[in-house]
Amino acid sequence: MDKFDVVVVGGGHAGVEAAHSVFRMGLSCALVTLNIKNIGQMSCNPAIGGLGKSHIVREIGAMGGIMPIATDMSGIQYRTLNTRKGDAVQALRVQCDRDLYKKAIQKILKKTTIEVFDEEVMDIIIEKNLVKGVVTKTKTIKGAKTILTTGTFLNGKMYTGDIVSTGGRSGDPSSIPLSKKLYKLSLPMGRLKTGTPARIKLSSINIHKMEEQPGEKPTPWMSTYQKPKKHQKQISCFITRTNKKTHEIIKQSTHLSAMYSGNITGIGPRYCPSIEDKINRFKEKNSHQIFIEPEGINKDLVYPNGISTSLPKNIQTEFIQSIKGLENSEITDFGYAVEYDFVDPRSIKPTLELKTLKNFYLAGQINGTTGYEEAAAQGLIAGVNAAASILNKKELILERSEAYIGVLIDDLTNHGITEPYRMFTSRAEHRLLLSQNNAEQRLLKKAYKVGLVDKKRYNNFNEQEEEYKRFVNDILKKTKTKNFINNKKQKIKLSENKNIYKLLKRNDVDKHKLFKTNKTNKKHYKRAITETKYHGYIEKQLREVKKTKKQNNKKIPTTTNYSNISGLSNEVKERLNKNKPRTIGSAARMEGVTPAAVNLILIQLKKEELLKQKT
Amino acid sequence: MSVVYALATPPAKSAICVFRVTGKGCHKSLNNFFGSRCFEPNVFNVVFFSGLDGVVDRVGLVVFKAPKSYTGEDSFEVYAHGGLAVMSNISKAFRGFGFEEAVGGEFTKRAFLNNKISLNEAEAVSDLIDCTDENGVVLSTNSLLGGLASQVSFFAGEIDGIRVRIEAEIDFSDEGESFYDVAGLLDDLKNLKNRFDLFVGGCVNKKVGSQKKNIVLIGPVNSGKSSVFNRLVGFDRAIVSNTPGTTRDMIESELFFESSVFSIFDTAGVRDAEDDVEKAGIQYSLSQANDSDLVIGVFEESDQGVFDYFKGLCEHNRFISIQNKVDINKPIKGVFDCYVSAKTGAGFDVLKGVIGNCFQSGLKLEKYDFLIRDRHEALFNKSVSDIELAVAGLLDNKPLELVAEDLKSARSNLDEVVGVKYSDSLLGDIFSSFCIGK
Ligand SMILES: Cc1cc2nc3c(=O)[nH]c(=O)nc-3n(C[C@H](O)[C@H](O)[C@H](O)COP(=O)(O)OP(=O)(O)OC[C@H]3O[C@@H](n4cnc5c(N)ncnc54)[C@H](O)[C@@H]3O)c2cc1C
Ligand SMILES: Nc1nc2c(ncn2[C@@H]2O[C@H](COP(=O)(O)OP(=O)(O)OP(=O)(O)O)[C@@H](O)[C@H]2O)c(=O)[nH]1
Ligand SMILES: [Mg+2]
Repeated sequence: MDKFDVVVVGGGHAGVEAAHSVFRMGLSCALVTLNIKNIGQMSCNPAIGGLGKSHIVREIGAMGGIMPIATDMSGIQYRTLNTRKGDAVQALRVQCDRDLYKKAIQKILKKTTIEVFDEEVMDIIIEKNLVKGVVTKTKTIKGAKTILTTGTFLNGKMYTGDIVSTGGRSGDPSSIPLSKKLYKLSLPMGRLKTGTPARIKLSSINIHKMEEQPGEKPTPWMSTYQKPKKHQKQISCFITRTNKKTHEIIKQSTHLSAMYSGNITGIGPRYCPSIEDKINRFKEKNSHQIFIEPEGINKDLVYPNGISTSLPKNIQTEFIQSIKGLENSEITDFGYAVEYDFVDPRSIKPTLELKTLKNFYLAGQINGTTGYEEAAAQGLIAGVNAAASILNKKELILERSEAYIGVLIDDLTNHGITEPYRMFTSRAEHRLLLSQNNAEQRLLKKAYKVGLVDKKRYNNFNEQEEEYKRFVNDILKKTKTKNFINNKKQKIKLSENKNIYKLLKRNDVDKHKLFKTNKTNKKHYKRAITETKYHGYIEKQLREVKKTKKQNNKKIPTTTNYSNISGLSNEVKERLNKNKPRTIGSAARMEGVTPAAVNLILIQLKKEELLKQKT
Repeated sequence: MSVVYALATPPAKSAICVFRVTGKGCHKSLNNFFGSRCFEPNVFNVVFFSGLDGVVDRVGLVVFKAPKSYTGEDSFEVYAHGGLAVMSNISKAFRGFGFEEAVGGEFTKRAFLNNKISLNEAEAVSDLIDCTDENGVVLSTNSLLGGLASQVSFFAGEIDGIRVRIEAEIDFSDEGESFYDVAGLLDDLKNLKNRFDLFVGGCVNKKVGSQKKNIVLIGPVNSGKSSVFNRLVGFDRAIVSNTPGTTRDMIESELFFESSVFSIFDTAGVRDAEDDVEKAGIQYSLSQANDSDLVIGVFEESDQGVFDYFKGLCEHNRFISIQNKVDINKPIKGVFDCYVSAKTGAGFDVLKGVIGNCFQSGLKLEKYDFLIRDRHEALFNKSVSDIELAVAGLLDNKPLELVAEDLKSARSNLDEVVGVKYSDSLLGDIFSSFCIGK
């Protein structure tokens, strides 16, 4: 029998991030997964980042996580999105070489003490409501904490036309005994679905008929610390479109699609519709864009982004070959939809520990999310909290105003999900505070304190911050000028000398002509531009945060029974009892909970405190 | 804890309204509102309440000293006439002084937290609030605002519609689709701003009661109009003296009958005026008589010529005549509609009945009028100016996420009236309006 501090089940994006954070916290960790060659496998589109997601990746990086590093070890095309908009909503998207990404993750794990087991977990050991580890086909692996990150594998079923097979993703088996076990534990479970497109041989397509989309120059980095020395070879993506004929073919065969046949009960994501969905729901659109994305550097394979489908194989071939540049497509793998079990995330705490079973954590797609970044973020949070609990440290819970990860986990644990949950910037009410470029300022200190980040990095970060402050105070605020060039290239004379920092706040100044940067202060100047541009709005958001913080942070014991609170409407009672918000802030954000209702809850809390004092 | 105030009675027209103010330091305001800071605690005082523009109403005031108050804090209660204008002016005065309007349950919460009431009592109170709520007596925000809420939610929906386009442009800019053209968006925004602005302006007018029925008292000088006026409104609002020509400007007050409210005006008595100020006053009285719903002529004696002159002033409206001072003069039977003495109060029951009949038979009374709370008015105006900011931002090429911020703020100002727009529901709108997703 093996014994560890923490046992992580699943070697996907959540699992590896969980295991690695346990390792960084100095504890022993077992990583038990099916098929160790697929550790760190990207099941779907080989890309990391994008809107709302690069923010998460940088946050993971600021807490010492491995996703940004693996991204840079395998990135073959980098592009910043939303460059015409401001800093807070800009996002880096990185196309990765699927194999290199997986290898990078495996390489990083090799340098740790994490012990990897190539095993299928069949059962969970529970004694007196405490989880004590797992049982695989061949052995028992015990741990003080267990983290489950089984992704799309729980009772996974794949659909192509009317062909149904079991599996967590193409080429991998499904995890059935474990699913049964979770049902037996009476956890609130449901079914979700998602889909993926066919893969096509690069050599069989005509990229000259398509629009080329090269990467950004100079090539940026996802990681802000310990990045590789050099980028991988950079490759272009290509753009083509569906046409009338494509739509005709799909319309006539829609009834053959697995999604439409009524076999699938799971709910799919609205923002990730299959091509048959798009064509049927938006009939007036006669063309949809497709990104042809390379799967790797020396790989004869592309990922046609935008035509996910579960139509029968022959129809897939027919409609793909109707598209410009894809006429002679050779398809290597066909698209499919996958349906799987998830656990209602309202049954977990913000530490990601189950409310009803101690020492048992859930992270990743099992909680109803979708996406590598969302999964990895939860892995990290589950890992650090499992470790912190063993070490008797304070739990790590991020605020909504502090990190997208905070938004993610708060949304999941309070509101649950109605479809696979993906991050968008509009989910963050304090969006302006959460830029992909200030993740370290927001999180690094916290991460250092809990033990996720080492002293060396912390010092390095502090030095940089000092350097920035000096740049602002000693240079920007002391350099004065009497004129500037405005956005219309006109020279404007000021009535008196003004310092650069003040002028940065003006909307009409051409900021690039205002101050000459050098190699060392270029990034600082960029940061100063952003901070001054957002100044008023950020102040306002900070005021809002502060105003509500004190009351919002007041904890509500999980034992609170809302049915006892008279004055609340039955609907609100029911909702509160079901979700058990952890703080007044979470309660206040729930639908239907008015300020008056919050007052009633506060009264109830006080009552409980008084009763406790008496006994 | 901060000083908060609340209207403890329904925010609809009624005979009386009660305001409660509580919080440490609230007694510092007494001087400001009531002209004195020395009131014996727990005693009912009759005083004038002065707001931002002078006296608002004659009110009852009880001051409570901590800890001997409902909340356990320093507090006071004001009992005023239950007209919309009075309520609105008092509430405005409180806010002007820096008091915040309390949310429901706040007083009970404070009482409970200061150990003034047991939990059972606290719960009983909240039960009461809740059940009266259902009966529509204390009106919840929604029903309180009734028609208003549905109007506002219409504007809120338009803001949401524009936010959908902007948020889509921010979150899905890599879709190779464009979600709006700037010119069209600007047009929509400006148009929305203008209509919303007009609407808010309209609400504000409604608030001071443009729909109220007017009653005007006219008559010769010194006939006792001001005295009758004071008797009708229930306190000494107008100055009374035996010098003919005392009243020079029109004085307005509210008059309450059962469930309806009227504006009643005292006017300058008519004679060949000596000075210009009085002349102007008389002129205005006469014109007002023409605009009003009911004119009451107040006379001291029977002078057919005078009587006919006044009656002639108001051909188009209802006219009732009263003979005043019947305590010292003999009633002249068959000439007047009513015989009263403002001094003794004799005949006023009959007079009120006559006034009531006038309105019941002829004019239709507004059954229900809503009070737009001052806080809401401020929020709506804030919303309008946020939209203005968004327009300016778009014209100025401000980064789109800042324009989005302005619109978010514009929308959140309406949350209290029409409910919060959650991001998930906004995303839902985006997905149903645009074909998004790879
Ligand atoms: C077909 C498909 C389409 C997708 N489409 C999209 C998309 O369009 N957009 C998007 O953002 N995301 C998409 N995803 C989702 C994305 O791949 C996942 O969100 C992400 O990989 C989830 O990470 P995870 O760590 O939770 O789980 P996974 O990456 O699925 O990893 C689960 C791990 O658990 C292991 N495991 C499972 N059961 C057991 C067991 N009993 N014992 C031991 N090990 C076990 C597996 O071997 C695997 O290593 C798609 C996924 C699939 C499969
Ligand atoms: N005895 C008696 N005196 C009255 C009565 N009503 C009014 N008076 C007196 O009549 C005088 C004039 O009263 P006002 O109410 O000022 O008369 P007015 O019509 O408003 O006068 P102007 O504003 O000057 O036109 C005062 O001295 C009152 O005290 C009444 O019913 N009986
Ligand atoms: Mg008078």
